[in-house]
Amino acid sequence: MSEYTQGGALANDDLDFSAPRNKERVGERSSAVVKSPALNIAIGVSAAVVVAGLALWFMQLSGGMAQTAMRNLDSWGLYITGFMFFVGLSAGGLIISSVPKALGIAGFGGISKVAVMSSIACTVAAIGLVVVDMGQPFRVWELFVYSNLGSPLMWDIIVLATYLILSCAYLWAQVRAEAGRMSHAALRAISVVALVCAVLVHSVTAWIFGLQGGREMWHTALLAPWFVSSALVCGTALVVCIAVGLRRAGYLELDQSYLVKLAKLLGAFVLVDLYFFGCDLLTEAFPGGSGAEVVAMLTTGPLAPFFWVEIIGCAACAVVCLTPALRRNGLLVAASLLAIAGIFCKRVQLLVGGFQIANLDLPFAMNGSSITNWEGSLADAYTGMVYWPTPLEFGVTLGVVALGFLIFFLGLKFLPLRPSDQ
Amino acid sequence: MAESKLVMLVDTQRCIACNSCAVACKVENNLPRDVWWNRVMTVGGPHLDAPSGTYPDLEMYNVTVACQHCENPACVKVCPVGATYKDPETGVVRQDYDKCIGCRMCMSACPYNGVRSFNWEEPAYHLDFPVGDQDVAPHQKHVVEKCTFCWHRLAKGLAPACVEACSARARIFGDASDPTSAVSQKLKERSSMRLLEDRDTEPSVYFLR
Repeated sequence: MSEYTQGGALANDDLDFSAPRNKERVGERSSAVVKSPALNIAIGVSAAVVVAGLALWFMQLSGGMAQTAMRNLDSWGLYITGFMFFVGLSAGGLIISSVPKALGIAGFGGISKVAVMSSIACTVAAIGLVVVDMGQPFRVWELFVYSNLGSPLMWDIIVLATYLILSCAYLWAQVRAEAGRMSHAALRAISVVALVCAVLVHSVTAWIFGLQGGREMWHTALLAPWFVSSALVCGTALVVCIAVGLRRAGYLELDQSYLVKLAKLLGAFVLVDLYFFGCDLLTEAFPGGSGAEVVAMLTTGPLAPFFWVEIIGCAACAVVCLTPALRRNGLLVAASLLAIAGIFCKRVQLLVGGFQIANLDLPFAMNGSSITNWEGSLADAYTGMVYWPTPLEFGVTLGVVALGFLIFFLGLKFLPLRPSDQ
Repeated sequence: MAESKLVMLVDTQRCIACNSCAVACKVENNLPRDVWWNRVMTVGGPHLDAPSGTYPDLEMYNVTVACQHCENPACVKVCPVGATYKDPETGVVRQDYDKCIGCRMCMSACPYNGVRSFNWEEPAYHLDFPVGDQDVAPHQKHVVEKCTFCWHRLAKGLAPACVEACSARARIFGDASDPTSAVSQKLKERSSMRLLEDRDTEPSVYFLR
């Protein structure tokens, strides 16, 4: 069935299932997946990594953040990079799931609830990464007592919390609607609100950086729309990977046409993202001066590997997604993973790049708290990448990422995420 | 509108980069190991008396860099809990260690690299006993700190420690909203510059040329 013939179908695309003759077989297979040892092992492994991450986090808190590579002149690192990345990654599921329902058009088959579950898992990981970055996590209550509502960070905390609650509510609403206990109008209203919130959450995350006049590389009005487009890229790519993976595992059945539709969308999103990148590079480089310095740092400087992985990865992803002959499952997953890696590289460029160029380019005596590579001259410290995470940071980050996986796997196991008619 | 506007003037024709101000600051505020709120930078290079420019158009001067106590502080805007705030009566940008959640948003926002420092570990000291003024707030692990314009001294009607310790008498401190004050007079007499004026932060530290 072509996607166009379903154009008028209303919100409940989960019911619009294109392989009815396989329903019973799939039903047996998918309940087997839920009970399968593989899922239990995955849950066990992620839980173990979460516990290890927690132990490392307590080590960081008790021994001090001197154990990270962050210092006064490069004061954010892998945690905030990961935060940006996971906020972006959380977009796809919710948007893929809510856009069709909000607009009343045909959706993407039975992946709607699984996609929202991936959003919830990514949002939790994003919040977790901010928490491990905080020096005083036990003072987090102050955010609600002494809120400075003028701070972009405060906006982000409010929007992220709303986003997480809304994602959960939206998932619940879908389950209720399938059980016939909620009207489609109500479901549609929730999906519109969730969609608006999803766009806001990326914009506000961008504003944490984009509103800073102090950092040449961050201070651009393009940053918010660009964050939305990057979020769409890696979020859609994640949904493609999850859809192919779960279909292969027999958790759900998904017609290939839905996957093709997702791939086309992904291709379009990647092109928009690359276009924004091109606009930004040209605008920075054209007047010369310090903007040209930023472009040189990205294309040929210390951040070049991350720049080129992003450009080549995203371009390759677009080629695979937009060439009908190449839209084979293996290639689509590879292309999606490339796009996700590319967007992660973009986050690294943005974060490290912000600190890579010193505003006050004056030599001064450095010590262990000034900058990561302080044993040398200031020029030495800025020659390579100004920041590279320590093993502790990798460990803590891995723990938080595992928490995201754990939540997702638990969702697969215990929540009714499969299409309702199976 | 601030009742007074405390500013610091540094005469670049007098400063010899002796670092007395940096040391006085460190002692007065009992700064932990590796923490310097105030640093002296020679514009020409990492060595004392390094000239800047190319021969024969050479210049030789130093700038001292600490919190600029901006009139339009980027850090105050972004702090999610108001741990860094502007004192309405003096214009001094203050930092409340007990409130700071250690998110380091202010460090990203501040264009003056390195004037804000984070205590990356439990504050450690070279000496076994505290030095400086006993009214200085105790240093805490995992919070951001910076120059306070010696708030504890201002409360007693004294100038910041760096002003007192400057052997070349290059530093002048006072109220710029009072036209008769020494700082207002000097700013009228001499040409001056501020760091990164293009960032619109309106710093309260002036360098006399």
